[in-house]
Amino acid sequence: MTTAAMTCTRLTIFTVAGILLQIIGLSIFVFGFFPVKPTLSGVSGSESYRDPFCDSSLISNESELHHPEKLRLLYQELSGISSKYDRLILMVIDGLPAEFVLGKDGKPPEKVLKESMPYTQSLLANGDAIGYHAKAAPPTVTMPRLKAMVSGAIGGFLDVAFNFNTQALLDDNILGQFFRIGWKMVMLGDETWLKLFPGLFMRHDGVSSFFVKDTVQVDRNVSRHLPDELNSDDWNLLILHYLGLDHVGHTGGRNSPLMPAKLKEMDDIVRTMHLRAMMDRSHDQGQTLLIIVSDHGMTENGNHGGSSYEETDSLMLFIGLNSNISDYASATNNVAFQVDLAPTLALLFGVPIPKNNVGVLVPGTLCSFRDFEQLRALELNSWQLLRLMLAQIQSSSFPRVSCNCFLDGTCEGLDLDISECSGDKEKQLICLFRNAAALHGIWKSKKSTESSSTMEDFSRALDAYNTFLKTASEWLASKTTEKPVFLLGLGVSAMLLSCFICGTVFLSLFKEVYHEPKDRVCSLSNLLNLEEVFIFALLLILVISMGSSSMVEEEHYIWHFMVSTFHLLLLFKTAKSFKISKGMNILRDFKFGSIFSLLISGRLLRGWHQGGVNWTYLPDISKWLVQGGSGYVKWIQLISIILVIGLGLYTLFRTGSNRKGVRILAFGFSTCGFLVLLHVGRYQDELSTGFGATVTVKVIYYLLSISSIGASLVLPWSALNKDKSFLAEVGDCLYLIGSAYILCWCLLQQLLQQPINSGPILLLLLQILAILCLSSSDFQVNEWVEITALYYMGMAGHFALGNSNTLATIHVAGAFIGISSHSTILSGILMFMITYASPMLFLLSLVMYIGANLRNHSNSTISTHRETSLGQILKLKLGFPCLVPLCINSILLTAYTVVLLLMRNHLFVWSVFSPKYLYVCATTLCTYIGVCIVAATVTYTFYVTTFLRSNRTRHNNS
Amino acid sequence: MKEAKKKKPETSIGVSISALGAFSVYLITGLFLAVGFWVVRDKYSVDLISDPSLTLRLLWIIEFPIVVIIYSLFRRNPEKCSYFRAVGRSILGLISGALINALGAVSLGAPIGMQSLPKTIHWSFLMSVFTVVPATAVFGASWADWHRVFASLKPTGNIEYMILIPAYGATIGGWFGAWPMPLDWERPWQEWPICVCYGAIGGYIVGQMVSLSLMILLRKHKSLKLA
Repeated sequence: MTTAAMTCTRLTIFTVAGILLQIIGLSIFVFGFFPVKPTLSGVSGSESYRDPFCDSSLISNESELHHPEKLRLLYQELSGISSKYDRLILMVIDGLPAEFVLGKDGKPPEKVLKESMPYTQSLLANGDAIGYHAKAAPPTVTMPRLKAMVSGAIGGFLDVAFNFNTQALLDDNILGQFFRIGWKMVMLGDETWLKLFPGLFMRHDGVSSFFVKDTVQVDRNVSRHLPDELNSDDWNLLILHYLGLDHVGHTGGRNSPLMPAKLKEMDDIVRTMHLRAMMDRSHDQGQTLLIIVSDHGMTENGNHGGSSYEETDSLMLFIGLNSNISDYASATNNVAFQVDLAPTLALLFGVPIPKNNVGVLVPGTLCSFRDFEQLRALELNSWQLLRLMLAQIQSSSFPRVSCNCFLDGTCEGLDLDISECSGDKEKQLICLFRNAAALHGIWKSKKSTESSSTMEDFSRALDAYNTFLKTASEWLASKTTEKPVFLLGLGVSAMLLSCFICGTVFLSLFKEVYHEPKDRVCSLSNLLNLEEVFIFALLLILVISMGSSSMVEEEHYIWHFMVSTFHLLLLFKTAKSFKISKGMNILRDFKFGSIFSLLISGRLLRGWHQGGVNWTYLPDISKWLVQGGSGYVKWIQLISIILVIGLGLYTLFRTGSNRKGVRILAFGFSTCGFLVLLHVGRYQDELSTGFGATVTVKVIYYLLSISSIGASLVLPWSALNKDKSFLAEVGDCLYLIGSAYILCWCLLQQLLQQPINSGPILLLLLQILAILCLSSSDFQVNEWVEITALYYMGMAGHFALGNSNTLATIHVAGAFIGISSHSTILSGILMFMITYASPMLFLLSLVMYIGANLRNHSNSTISTHRETSLGQILKLKLGFPCLVPLCINSILLTAYTVVLLLMRNHLFVWSVFSPKYLYVCATTLCTYIGVCIVAATVTYTFYVTTFLRSNRTRHNNS
Repeated sequence: MKEAKKKKPETSIGVSISALGAFSVYLITGLFLAVGFWVVRDKYSVDLISDPSLTLRLLWIIEFPIVVIIYSLFRRNPEKCSYFRAVGRSILGLISGALINALGAVSLGAPIGMQSLPKTIHWSFLMSVFTVVPATAVFGASWADWHRVFASLKPTGNIEYMILIPAYGATIGGWFGAWPMPLDWERPWQEWPICVCYGAIGGYIVGQMVSLSLMILLRKHKSLKLA
């Protein structure tokens, strides 16, 4: 017990050290887990046909070349490759594993599968088609895979996360390149394409992949347009995206009885297209290339998302390449990467390779080119990869080489010998490129002089290019996916250590708090009371539930269920103590009333938004209100704002002290409320774009910040009441400041949140007032239980406001309210405030809670014999309540970090766990900010009051 | 324990019951639950998953009379309170208990809507048969007994164990039974109130077993002490 005596300063130092350690660990971990690769902005143009070492500032009049046809001709001229094809059919079969078509390890596919795709198999056997096992990068879900296919880049997770407000693909991609040269495109199938490329398609018919059980209609909706499209001649690119096979997998797994029939259907479509679009066309029209790809494979159960072989084994099948492959094995036994599709298409159709592409030209597709075209294509691909590499490694490691020196062989310092490449990776890559370029140069010079050994030189150059491309592609791809183990370990251990520090500090303080005021017998019987056990078990349940992806998706169920259970336990406890005083006195009525209002408001909050992922379509209050018409929403909004103002004024005036301060606060507060009402009433329909709206909102921002900051700064100075004890005075003052905080926050949220959320804000305020009322009415619940309950209720409220663990639910539109010019930082802050409205509200209510607590306990033990030591009071009355949320958050954060690390190869690591991790990080930030505000306010008030008191006693003495 | 023993002579005014008797009571109630399931499956050819509302209705209608008939035998103050009065008040108890259970379920998140209303109603009647009806049959409206048994958790005598522990078992079992509902297993039994029912019935049976073993243990304890 003696060691537990910890001074206030030491407590602060330990806590701050723990928090700092946590921040450092977290940033190291995030940096390690989510690598951010440098990307090149912009779109490849004609400069991609020039040597990257040449000064590319002499870009021709490309900017004037807006005419697509001219641009196409320019590209054709610059590339020096004549394109044989003028039409492309890209058939995407969602979720088709390459194994179904090509077999595995040199063995043909299972008999039943092979027999269900007779036409495709015959194409493969005849050498009309060539297929590849195209390895897809995780996450193997549709949208990132489509992005990878068309842009050739493997996106990092944070790229996805930071682009949550737009789903459109803004990076350079092959479809954009086609669009620039004036291609007409048609898209039939998965509407993901329409989200990625809005406005790019001439005709489109999107189908949704929402109804996973539907395996038939979803594909019929695509195929019904096929005859018309194949008859018409106005498109250059036809994209067909069939979802049915993925749905078959999701419902029945790989071996689903529906699978052969579905494959047969796909095979029929392939036959139709091959016969109609490719065979029928007369030769002078140019040729059509048919490419069949799948975005990802599937596991035995039909799931996908992770990085197992079954999921990443996607198909890439070229039909109509005129490659002279005759045997089945060499047509099927090829390996490539999914990203290779982008450069291959770019080179086959004569457009620049997208800037951030890391793929390489698929080798077998070159056969239709002549020799010099093949080498040129490889050279273009190498130049593009080299540009990307130059952006990723510091230029100092590059030898400064002049333009064309590889070709002329005249640059100094570089001998022309083909050297063995060694050394570190960057040097090796440069060396490989130099070799390839030199061999290319040799071949060129020999060819012009018609010397004998051209064939050998050609194959040497080809090999050299292929080696470089392969190495460079792997290096670039590993840059985006590799995870530095050391950083991860360091981050996690720092967080574990900080969690340990916080826990130790909390426990030592816990001992101190719960051993001094109460006698031991009492605390022993209280040791195992129900709420404490429950609150602690809840923490465990939360940690365990984090390991399950569906529980992460549906996290709101846990919070609502557990918070309601906690309220029911409170009810039980109240009922238990009901007997002792017979009859119904007012205090107890108040208690029951508070608990019932907690339960009812909790149920309403739960029903307000049907959150999560899987059951969002179920009816909820918000949908019901919206369906009822905008009038209802407006009424709800007006009523809840008025009620918030009313409740606020009631709370302010109920404190009963410091009349002048209360009146000023109430005035400022009701002015703000009036302005918010005005804004809602007048401007919200026009999406607050007008000047008047912006000014009103800005005035509200200023008024709210002035009244909250002013209250916290000025109120402690004005509180002078002789006949009250020190603690009661501080308590009163803090209660007033706390109510000012939460009321201002509520009004701000009424302004920022979407209109439908005004009801939940009111309910949350009601919950806070109810729980404060409970805790002040001599309720036998421990302080830490109450504070933990506040934290939990804050999290439940977070989900009640329509948030979830997917990034899609962030309310972006609110982030631009009252901002006249675009500012990322301001919008970010507003967005954070909107998303974390409820946890912040409950953290701010801690000020009020501490105030109420001080006031209640001012008559009891501490005030009498501890008046002198301010540090001790601060430690017990401020440090302890602040440590509770910090500790809970620290435990949850650390646990989730470990979970994320364990789940790094899980199916849903990118779609479920990583977004949740971002939310956990943001919750941590929210907790830090909230606790900082609470600590600063309470400390300030304490010191000011002490100062005033000592002044007064000095006056009295003199 | 000491306290409970002291109280015992004063409070055990009703008919006392041995552990064997309790076992046979449990056997009969369990049998009727099984009969309920059998009737539902063979006569109506539905089950809890395909038609929860009908199943639950049949279950509580079959289970309720037998519970009332048995537990009314053990009513407090049999001299003052006739058997039929005990039956009558347990009907009242059924309705009010259903109301409490339904409110509790709704506050924990049971869906409210016309579609799920009959399910919730019949589920809460079944829960009421498990939890409140035995207590009303035995205690009537005696607040002191209710409070002592259910709030202070100080049962005395076997019959109170028989009331208290299965009731809490059913409640806690139902609470745990709600856990699989948010998981995305896409099983039909994850719907409200199917898995909660399973949980409640499971908890009820576990509660019966626990109370039985407690009775036997305590009796041994007592006889040891007496000896």
